[in-house]
Amino acid sequence: MTVPTVRYTDERLPNGLRLVISEDHLVPVVAVNIWYDVGSKHEQPGKTGFAHLFEHVMFQGSRHVAKAEHIALVQAAGGSMNGTTWLDRTNYYETMPSHQLELALWLEADRMGTLLEALSQENLDNQRAVVKNEKRSSYDNQPYGTWQEKLLGHLYPEGHPYHHPTIGSMEDLDAASLEDVAAFFRTYYAPNNAVLSIVGDVDPGDARASVERYFGPLAANPAIPAFHPDPLPLTLGGERRETVPDRVPLPRIYVGYRAPTLGDPRLYALEIAAQVLAGGKGSRLHRRLVRDAQIAQDVAMFGLAFSSGPSVFMGWATVRPEATAQAVEAGLFDELTRVGRDAISEDELGRAKALIETDELAALQRVSERADRLSMYATLLDDPDEINRQLERYLAVTPEDVRAACAELLVADNRVVLTYVPAIAGTDSTEAA
Amino acid sequence: MNAQDPVEAALGVRPVPGTPRPFTFPAAARSRLSGGLALVTVHLPGRPLVSASLYLPNGAVDEPADEGGATVLTARALTEGTLHRDAVALTEAAERLGASLRAEAGWDATVVGVDVPAERLGPALELLAELVREPAFPEREVERLRDQRLNDLLQAKVDPARRAEEAFIETIYAAGTPYARVAGGRRETVETLDADILRRAYGRQGDPDRAVLIIGGDLGDLDVAGLVEPLFGDLAVAEAGSGASAGPPIVEDGLDRTRVRLVHRPGAVQSELRVGHLGLSRRSPDYHAVTVMAMILGGLFNSRLNMKLREEKGYTYGAGAGFDFRRFAGPFSARAAVNTDATIPALTDLMAELRRIREVAPSDAEMRAARDYLVGVFPLRFETPGPIVAALGGLVTFGLPADELDRYRPAIDAVTAADVLAAARSHLRVERLAVIVVGDADAVGADLEKAGLGDVEVVREAEPVAGEA
Repeated sequence: MTVPTVRYTDERLPNGLRLVISEDHLVPVVAVNIWYDVGSKHEQPGKTGFAHLFEHVMFQGSRHVAKAEHIALVQAAGGSMNGTTWLDRTNYYETMPSHQLELALWLEADRMGTLLEALSQENLDNQRAVVKNEKRSSYDNQPYGTWQEKLLGHLYPEGHPYHHPTIGSMEDLDAASLEDVAAFFRTYYAPNNAVLSIVGDVDPGDARASVERYFGPLAANPAIPAFHPDPLPLTLGGERRETVPDRVPLPRIYVGYRAPTLGDPRLYALEIAAQVLAGGKGSRLHRRLVRDAQIAQDVAMFGLAFSSGPSVFMGWATVRPEATAQAVEAGLFDELTRVGRDAISEDELGRAKALIETDELAALQRVSERADRLSMYATLLDDPDEINRQLERYLAVTPEDVRAACAELLVADNRVVLTYVPAIAGTDSTEAA
Repeated sequence: MNAQDPVEAALGVRPVPGTPRPFTFPAAARSRLSGGLALVTVHLPGRPLVSASLYLPNGAVDEPADEGGATVLTARALTEGTLHRDAVALTEAAERLGASLRAEAGWDATVVGVDVPAERLGPALELLAELVREPAFPEREVERLRDQRLNDLLQAKVDPARRAEEAFIETIYAAGTPYARVAGGRRETVETLDADILRRAYGRQGDPDRAVLIIGGDLGDLDVAGLVEPLFGDLAVAEAGSGASAGPPIVEDGLDRTRVRLVHRPGAVQSELRVGHLGLSRRSPDYHAVTVMAMILGGLFNSRLNMKLREEKGYTYGAGAGFDFRRFAGPFSARAAVNTDATIPALTDLMAELRRIREVAPSDAEMRAARDYLVGVFPLRFETPGPIVAALGGLVTFGLPADELDRYRPAIDAVTAADVLAAARSHLRVERLAVIVVGDADAVGADLEKAGLGDVEVVREAEPVAGEA
């Protein structure tokens, strides 16, 4: 089996907008995807959550588009859309019937060029309230909902761009002002800070002409600040632990490690390790903790790759009522140590690679996923062609690569352990580093 | 902004759409294997990842009340080992093919399937046939799955959305109705399940017309019938009427008045809201009009509920409403999670929108937005084999005609504002409602009483804490 090569063009408009176009006429659908090179890592102290709040403001109208009209126009055209904010970036995307390509381009250009003309205190206040409810829904009112904030807080020191999660704090959200929105927009929402990918049922020449027409007149920002956070050591240099009482019926252990930065080949070895450890019923942790000892309800292991510092390799195990967190933790760490001690078998490696190959095939079927990946690799690694190299990078991993990466990184001195324990609402967490 | 402004020159005129490229739902070829099992194949050139699903007519709605949860657990147990190999060996064999075996039961059907690169479809189907035809239901694994389900039920108690759903369905349906429980079953019945019950549940014969094997993807180089016949050709498809369930399950309304139930979640920063009542079967003749109506009320981003509760008031991250169309009448619900202070005003706004959509016909703009969305998004829904196979499976599960998907867009386009108003008046009600609030009863209870929606029943449960504390 081969995963089909994604053919594309890669160019820049005079104003710096990077444009990637990939033609595919199987279905009359087109994906439009913009990555802005700005995420929560760019937030200043006291302004956490701002990049994400700003993303919401992007749907509140621009010179030619009324509040909430962006989504109305896309849906009425038979399209779907959204925006998401992450530590490294913010993206906006539409998937449209292909004859509606121009509408998506026009909408994205109008807000990239003229957002501030529609900005109002009322709309900002409304979206601040919406985002605070998003934080309540997705984090504060969820069992185990604080894990992300706590894990990042321990893995990255105070003041580091990855120390806080994208959702930010209620206090900082309350403090966000119209002036903050305007300054953020002028700094980061410029064509020379964006990658626009168009994938699907398009004529590349027509698509390029439309992009030039709508985005061409938008002004670049010649003064986008460079972003170079102080480098952190690859490993934590000591174990950090926190016990977190929460309103949960089952204890759960989260473990997080610092891992290499995006683009480092060790990340592929760690992804293979995650599959061998916890990817499905044949995996080591599932067999040991869920199936054989029957002390865990579920296990998970995965990586979060970041581009401006160490990434995260993490996972969790939920403790069954009759078991102890200590027993689950012991089994968990035993397996995490074992992958660094003995090479995984060729069969384990082969199975992991076969599943990754199928996953790649599944993901790249969809024009929206292809567009998102082209934008991602262009933004974070300055090379959209990484979309075509991922599989070979996975297939190049050897058992020894996996062992070496795990031996280096999955060690006690590089880990954060959060132990959630059942407690009634409202009690505080205790910390023991 | 003057005409000389190059930005205005570029953006001042809205684009007009191009000419739509025609899209038709991919053609399906229908045949029968020698034993009677229906086979549907869909050739999708350029889609090398093939999706195969076997629909079995065993749904949770068909199971006896005292075995609630058996069907869902049975489906999970199918991948836990066969007469020839245990779960790990089965999983490993699939993984070597780059395939994941899946087996899940819902209210209406059990679906067993695999997604696999086309060139390995044959061996993947052999594994699928093995687990369908020779499942072992090993006692140890069944007991483990059962205990995991019980633990999952513990976790559901502290998840606001799941807790609200549970309270909602047990309020809108009469106690004997299968839909009054979650499909995975409640603690009282799940506790009693064992391997024998699962074997019996698996052997229960459903309506043979609702069994089908569907395979979609780039099948160009494959002799699908030749692959399938030796594996499933003699699969016994029961005669109609041989089933254990005596007839269609009775779906009975549980509401004789509006019931307000406040499930106490101490210190909750939000109230999880569900408002609604018993809804409709997928086979309702008003399906298309109701679908358009639900889009306007709570389906589109710019639906009345979301615009009011989110974009105007900021009470929630998202508000919506819709019908869950099942083989029998599934629920209608409006829903939102709102900050605790906004509980009463949000419920008031929500109730006002339920009344309004029954009072006057929607505007032309609303009608266009809903119809154009549903018609226009149709090709996007069917970009890849998985959703195409699932849509064809739905036709069989619901007993809909083979041309239902071709009929869909014209039928939606034909819905008028008067149809929507009539659908709202026939199928939405503002009396005899369930109003569920999962939130801090100490903070909202008194105001909820005063709101006058109906008698308020406060549910205070012991903390569902298990294990070490």
